[in-house]
Amino acid sequence: MTNSSNRAAPTPWFQLRKPVSSKQSILSAIFIWALFFAVWEGVSLAGLVNDLLVPAPHTVLTTLVDMLVNRGLVSDILISVWRVVFSFSIACAVAIPLGVAMGAFPAIEAVFNPFVSAWRYLPAPSFIPILLMWFGTGETPKLVLLVIGVVFFLITIIMDHTREVRTELVETGLTLGGKRWTIVRTIILPAVLPHVLTAMRQMLAVTWTYLVIAEIVASTTGVGAMMMRARRFLHTDEIMAGIIVIGVLGLCFDILFRRAHRWFFPYIQDRRN
Amino acid sequence: MSDIQHTNTVAAASAKLVVDSVTKRFSLGKGREVQAIADASFIVDENEICTILGSSGCGKSTILRMMAGLERPTTGELRLDGSVITGPDKERGMVFQAYTSFDWLTVRGNVEYGMRINGVPKPERRARTQKFIDLVNLGGFEDAYPSQLSGGMKQRVAIARTLANDPALLLMDEPFGALDAETRWHMQELLVGIAETANTTMVMVTHDIEEAIYLGDKIVFMSSHPGRVHKIIVPEFKQGKRYKSKEEVIGLDGYGVLEKEIMRMMQEQGANDER
Repeated sequence: MTNSSNRAAPTPWFQLRKPVSSKQSILSAIFIWALFFAVWEGVSLAGLVNDLLVPAPHTVLTTLVDMLVNRGLVSDILISVWRVVFSFSIACAVAIPLGVAMGAFPAIEAVFNPFVSAWRYLPAPSFIPILLMWFGTGETPKLVLLVIGVVFFLITIIMDHTREVRTELVETGLTLGGKRWTIVRTIILPAVLPHVLTAMRQMLAVTWTYLVIAEIVASTTGVGAMMMRARRFLHTDEIMAGIIVIGVLGLCFDILFRRAHRWFFPYIQDRRN
Repeated sequence: MSDIQHTNTVAAASAKLVVDSVTKRFSLGKGREVQAIADASFIVDENEICTILGSSGCGKSTILRMMAGLERPTTGELRLDGSVITGPDKERGMVFQAYTSFDWLTVRGNVEYGMRINGVPKPERRARTQKFIDLVNLGGFEDAYPSQLSGGMKQRVAIARTLANDPALLLMDEPFGALDAETRWHMQELLVGIAETANTTMVMVTHDIEEAIYLGDKIVFMSSHPGRVHKIIVPEFKQGKRYKSKEEVIGLDGYGVLEKEIMRMMQEQGANDER
């Protein structure tokens, strides 16, 4: 290649800091997963791993389909999804108003922040024994664990983003005659909402983590409990099917949030997050 | 220098805005303080365009923020139409150097924002919004979002939004400072046209001598460390007129003389600061 005026022509899909087409990004994603399963399948077929501990991917997929169709995995999935959605909704209902209020009013932050930041450093699973004693083994301790696990992080992240809403915007509102709460409602909240949705997307992934912990430790229903049952009978294919289900569910929620971001905030252009 | 007159007294019955013996000290913590403004007194008349000119650190933005009510003077007071300014109010709208468009609202939503939060009825609101969008030449962009606009257009949205709210005083803190030279030129000429139509008293902070002379019916020249009013300059060569064309003003005989005089004062300032 000596013709320097024609530099962009070769390998247009492999350029420094040039965004890739959506077709290319889909193909790339398929490629890496195909490669992963191919290596796994190859390793299994070649007999390099113990079949009992690492079943081949086609075995896992067959098991997964069988469980979905014949063995009631769908109800486990629905229970898990319900737990995540319900407890995450409660966490958001607390964290969004409180986080925005703390970020907007230093007086409110001064009260709640010493409390919230202390709780943030307590690992949520350390509450499992006491939650079991207080609430028994029903739904409540699981839901409480999920809420405790994310709510304090969510509050802090939303507070930080709210603080970063530019002062000029607030002062503009003041010189246009806005009162304090009017400015919170009509300037600070809309300015911070895109960041709130991004924070929700990230923290929902954390909720899934705590869900599996809760279901493994103290549950007879849900995807996590199903995996613990499978372990007792050395059904590694079922455990792996569970892992795949959780991964796919997480991915679906992530896509849902990205869609929502584009839907609610059409004015934000070219921001891929 | 017949163009320049010294004024240290605060009086005048026609005064719209009075800055009366204002000082400002900022605390730096641990008992240390910095004197931002040592003493400032001047008046702005009804429908006047007043430019506050000075190098950085002269406290010109601080004075403007005190006019807006976003800062309080340490001593002295500011009065608009005779009443003391104690806090921000829709009577004193401010345009900042940084873009302050509300990204989640369209151009129309931005311009009508002030009227909406102040409860102006919808028919009147719509009509005024359109009037001020047209005034800043943004007709056709009503439904565009700020992210789709250039810097100059964003500042025009900010000016329209402030004026549509019908303030007694339009305050601007280097509103064209972030724009390229050509856009700035157009915006300055546009602002003269706006002043004609909107009949608003305007105070603009700038460090651009050309801008201060072209736009200012009165120029408050401030010196720094600590900030004080060095001279109040009325560019007599404009004979009390406003010109739509900036080129015409720069071509006038008195322009070069005044520009040189102000540059000399700025250089003296710089020399004093070095010492």
